[in-house]
Amino acid sequence: MFDRISIRYKLIVLLGLSAALALLISSAITIYSTYLSESRSSLRVLHQLTDVISENMRAALAFADAGSANTMLASLRADPHILLAVVNDESGRALAEYRSAGLSTAAEPRFRAEVQGRILESAEALRREDGFVEHIDNDFMAVVRPVFFDGKPIGLLVVVSDTQLMWAKIRELVLLQAATSVLTLVLLLFLSVKLQSLFTRPIMNLVAAMQDVARTKNYRAVLGSDRRDEFRNLYDGFNAMLADIRERDDQLSRLATTDALTGLANRRNALDVMQTMAARAQRKDEPLGVIMLDIDSFKNVNDRFGHPMGDLVLQEVSLVLQASARDYDLVARLGGEEFLVVCDCGTQEVTTAVAERIRAGVEGRPISGPAGEALQVTVSLGVYSAVPRAGAEDIEEMIRAADKALYRAKEAGRNRYVVA
Amino acid sequence: MVLWVLGLLCCVQAPWAWAGDEERKLEAVFIGRFASYIEWPAKPRDRFVITLLDDNPFGSLLDDLYRDKRIHNKPIELRYATRLEQVGETDALFITLTSSAARAAAIDYAQRNGILTISEAKGFAESGGIIQLDFIEQKARIKINHGAALKSGLRIGAPLLTIATVLRGDKP
Repeated sequence: MFDRISIRYKLIVLLGLSAALALLISSAITIYSTYLSESRSSLRVLHQLTDVISENMRAALAFADAGSANTMLASLRADPHILLAVVNDESGRALAEYRSAGLSTAAEPRFRAEVQGRILESAEALRREDGFVEHIDNDFMAVVRPVFFDGKPIGLLVVVSDTQLMWAKIRELVLLQAATSVLTLVLLLFLSVKLQSLFTRPIMNLVAAMQDVARTKNYRAVLGSDRRDEFRNLYDGFNAMLADIRERDDQLSRLATTDALTGLANRRNALDVMQTMAARAQRKDEPLGVIMLDIDSFKNVNDRFGHPMGDLVLQEVSLVLQASARDYDLVARLGGEEFLVVCDCGTQEVTTAVAERIRAGVEGRPISGPAGEALQVTVSLGVYSAVPRAGAEDIEEMIRAADKALYRAKEAGRNRYVVA
Repeated sequence: MVLWVLGLLCCVQAPWAWAGDEERKLEAVFIGRFASYIEWPAKPRDRFVITLLDDNPFGSLLDDLYRDKRIHNKPIELRYATRLEQVGETDALFITLTSSAARAAAIDYAQRNGILTISEAKGFAESGGIIQLDFIEQKARIKINHGAALKSGLRIGAPLLTIATVLRGDKP
């Protein structure tokens, strides 16, 4: 399912989750550290209170004055969070006790048992003048201090307080933290929606460009980017890939439309181009000149000098054809030693002039073989000029007419052109 | 049978006897503890002297309790006097005199010599004594005549005053 989500939303979700996780961890640490500091602070306050009471309680304990001790403890009523305070004399008997009205009878035995347990555990510490025992849990906290007189313990003071203040502060912090976290998260999500475009825009542009290229097959497109990061490499890679495709396409196109030996248009391409030229000539009502030509006695060249020499002859004749035809004429090799020249707007005069240039050009161009042998070849040409009629059949007819004229030129002794 | 009855009587009487002993012990302890809360004018004595005037109700209790102890960082010396003339230089005077006239004379002597006076005699504080110690239902009640203390040149610590019934003059 995650794979189906757009990268843009993935980034938003990722940024949001990262922010949420970071906030969660920082909130947990903050709350825990606040809990520690608040519990320490609450215990410190209780210690201070216990110190003051124990100091005041010393005389009452020294003189076993339960009344004064009770009066002193009763003053704790001013603090509603003090649940219980007990002063024991040196024999462990309770000299005075304060019990808050808020102390539940259900909780009291647990508090007492817990404190008693801590006192028994830390009996050694309570024999020292600076000794104390402290306890804190979710419901209450307690401090136990020995009261000394002239260096001797004469009693024990226990003060038990609830933890409501501490939890109230922590609750306040949790609420504040939660509100801050939600606000921060919303802000971060908003920012991540904005910031994700930094990453996704180049990707989206690339995807759009790829889709555009796939749709239009325009492999000549080049993606521009002013970035200097990895996206630049991605764009460069994409552009390089397009260049490779272009080069391969060009190569394939060349292979499909040209003759590999001579570089002239091949038969298929020639017929396509000629079709286009014929259509235009028909539309403009202009004549189209067709020249069919054939190298005279080419078989003898092959037989006598071998195929490499034959190929060289074909290439040399092709050069003459290209040089003799006009830029906008079609020159093609139809196969073997047979060539086609189509003259755009080729009246008979123009076409025969081109044919003569070709003939003369070939005749006047001695060919040297690789072994130094000199060869003189000639060509026979059939010329036909007419305004094409509609349909592909007419092209074939024009070629056929030119071909027939070529045949006649051959019959007439070669090295000449004959007009159909 | 006689022994059983005697034993039973002992058991019945034991709490009273225990209470009396316990009160006496507390009283003995309290004498030293009172001293801890009181400041005397500087005296060139190297001992802290506690004197019992008239009968000694403590037996050897005070000796046992204060042997090798110190008050105000001075070793304690216990003296037992039967007459006021025997008191001499002392810091605390525990008076068991039954005659109010004799007690008044002792109080007068103590005031002139900067001596802390303690007694369990009724009306002691009201008649110018500094600390009157009562035990009511086995609980100590301390009455302090603060004016008398000041007249004797003594300063009583606030914690002691906090737990005591304080008379602000010679008379309540």
